[in-house]
Amino acid sequence: MMPARNLSSMVAGNTVRSPRHFVFSAIGVVIGIGAFVFFLAGVLRVQSVLFSVFPLEEVEVIAPHTSIAGKNLSQKLTQETVDLIKRRPEVKDALPRMTLQFPAVGFGKFEGQEIRFEVGGFTDGIPTSYVGDDPKVSDRFLDNDAAGVIGPACKPELGSKGCPDRAWQYCDKVDQRCHARIPVIVSPTVLELYNTQVAQSHGLPHIGAMEQFIAERGRERMHFTIGLGDTMVAGSNLAMTAAHREVGAIMIGVSKKAKRVGLTVPIGYVERWNREFAGEAASKEFSSIVVTLRDKDRLAPFTKWLQDEPRLKLEDSLGEQFGTVVFVITIVLLAISFVIVGISAINIAHNFFMQVTERRREIGILRAVGASQRDVLMIVLGEAALIGLVSGVLGSVVAVGGSLFVDWASAAFVPDFPFKPASWFDFEWWIFAQGIGFSVLFCVVGGWLPARKAAQMEPAAALAQN
Amino acid sequence: MAPDPVIQLERVTKSYGDGAGKTQVLRGVSLDVPRGELLALVGQSGSGKSTLLNIVGGLDKADAGAIRVLGHDYGATREPALARLRNAKIGFVFQAFNLLDHLTCVGNVTLPASFDRGARDVDKRGREALGRVGLGDHALRKPSELSGGQKQRVAIARALFNRPELLLCDEPTGNLDSATGHEVIEFFRELNQKDGVTLIIVTHERRMSTIAQRVITMRDGQIVEGDQAGNEDTGGPA
Ligand SMILES: Nc1ncnc2c1ncn2[C@@H]1O[C@H](COP(=O)(O)OP(=O)(O)OP(=O)(O)O)[C@@H](O)[C@H]1O
Ligand SMILES: [Mg+2]
Repeated sequence: MMPARNLSSMVAGNTVRSPRHFVFSAIGVVIGIGAFVFFLAGVLRVQSVLFSVFPLEEVEVIAPHTSIAGKNLSQKLTQETVDLIKRRPEVKDALPRMTLQFPAVGFGKFEGQEIRFEVGGFTDGIPTSYVGDDPKVSDRFLDNDAAGVIGPACKPELGSKGCPDRAWQYCDKVDQRCHARIPVIVSPTVLELYNTQVAQSHGLPHIGAMEQFIAERGRERMHFTIGLGDTMVAGSNLAMTAAHREVGAIMIGVSKKAKRVGLTVPIGYVERWNREFAGEAASKEFSSIVVTLRDKDRLAPFTKWLQDEPRLKLEDSLGEQFGTVVFVITIVLLAISFVIVGISAINIAHNFFMQVTERRREIGILRAVGASQRDVLMIVLGEAALIGLVSGVLGSVVAVGGSLFVDWASAAFVPDFPFKPASWFDFEWWIFAQGIGFSVLFCVVGGWLPARKAAQMEPAAALAQN
Repeated sequence: MAPDPVIQLERVTKSYGDGAGKTQVLRGVSLDVPRGELLALVGQSGSGKSTLLNIVGGLDKADAGAIRVLGHDYGATREPALARLRNAKIGFVFQAFNLLDHLTCVGNVTLPASFDRGARDVDKRGREALGRVGLGDHALRKPSELSGGQKQRVAIARALFNRPELLLCDEPTGNLDSATGHEVIEFFRELNQKDGVTLIIVTHERRMSTIAQRVITMRDGQIVEGDQAGNEDTGGPA
């Protein structure tokens, strides 16, 4: 077998010698690999944006809504239901969520503006353990009232100033003691809605990373008050079992575990407030149960079990639907890329067959001076591989160029919307590696039969041509 | 029988094509060529001279018969070993020169080194080989800039690059004028006498017969004259 150095210099020489052949063979591959790299990088970014909004490793179980003649006959989700789900072999963990079942209003000063917002239907509680894997919020997301952490007596007129820990406590008007402020988390969606919708129209600051914002402006800026039993909705006539009262709250950060649109607090608060304002039953009724499966493959059997369970159903998950759409689009785009590259490989095979026929005499000469069949095979395959390598690199360059154009156009012409990424592409190194790898692979496959034909030519017959 | 035969052929047959289009090109050729011989192969067009030469050089396969060249039994030699044999010990010179036009003269001459793992001093040896055929100052020219005689000398330099023991020449003077052809013939004679290279030369040149130690005539795929190795079994296989 010929030494690799000789092989590569002969391959390079032959390639440089026939630029037309090279261009005709490479162009399809460049386009196909360009499309492949471009699509893959785009899909990767869209997926990562999507997964940051919708965690796909979890499903949410709710009770089917049934009503007859205006009467709500829906089944209730209770601790029993949680235990039932926890016993399923597919399930790793099941955590309840509970929504506030009575009206409430949030208000406070933010950046010098008085802000009021409806809290009632937009707040839920989750077990504190649910954010245990989220270090940005886990150490502050605690139910301090349940733990009995109640501070000294205070004068309500002084507000937080009357309490030893101004940042984290407020003075409760009812028992006139210092209580820990109720920790509130919001979802990335809320932050994104704030940034793209609220901030601009109200002249409020853009918040990039919540922690940084808090560090810069101070904890006190995150204070607000929740008026329990209050409402901004006129004509609301829900019967309440307690008089309106106010509690202090503090925004502690952003978490994917928070309610998509609304506020989230430790579930103990919601249970106690529901008991106080909506009765005992409301404090035992969950709005949904978040189920973490042991792995993704368990989703199918778990869904099947839910179908046979009339009391429960799977919450239609936007994330899942988007995920499916993205998956299908990915498959379609990659299929298109592969069809282009596949056709190019056939084109390469055709070009190489022609070239091998044209170069019969040359191949005969090489055989006469000592090239083995294997040497000839390697020379032709080497030329195919070189076309693949160069096409793969060019395709990657084309893809990056295309992405720069798309990003520029997106920034220049597409208005801001929630989660609009600065770049629509995620060019991981392995995408390029895969693109170039596929390019070489397809070209070598395309060159295979012509290379075999060249290798199997009888040298005498090859030389007989003039 | 001469001692130390470089080539031994026994009842070699070869045909091309199938069925009705089948042509029997060699009909049982037996031939011994001793080391150091200069053998001229003559015969009418289509008599099978080139075919025989190609089979001896391993560029074509015989249908049947025994072939032994430089100690290699072709029936038992695998293709890579045959390629190595051509590379190291057999040189070819063709009527059509068969140079690669995109390479320089020295590039053509050193082409065999591309397939030789042990090749050393390639460029220097290539220029030496060109020097032997009197083209030492043409190393970086392209073949297209040379005359026919010069091209054939480059081809000869290539054939001699690895100092072969056997040189197979198929009408080497066929495309040359008679003066140039004469120079080439003289070069072969010297090569045979000084370096002891064994040569088989297919030729129509009358002069070649005067320098050859033996002239063999072929007709219809058979050796009909001058075969000292004995050619009694002229019937060939059925
Ligand atoms: N590859 C081939 N396929 C089919 N027929 C062939 C092939 N090569 C040679 N032949 C035939 O074999 C016969 C012998 O050819 P060959 O080239 O050996 O003759 P030659 O003696 O060298 O003739 P010339 O003096 O014209 O070169 C011819 O009839 C030729 O047509
Ligand atoms: Mg001939």
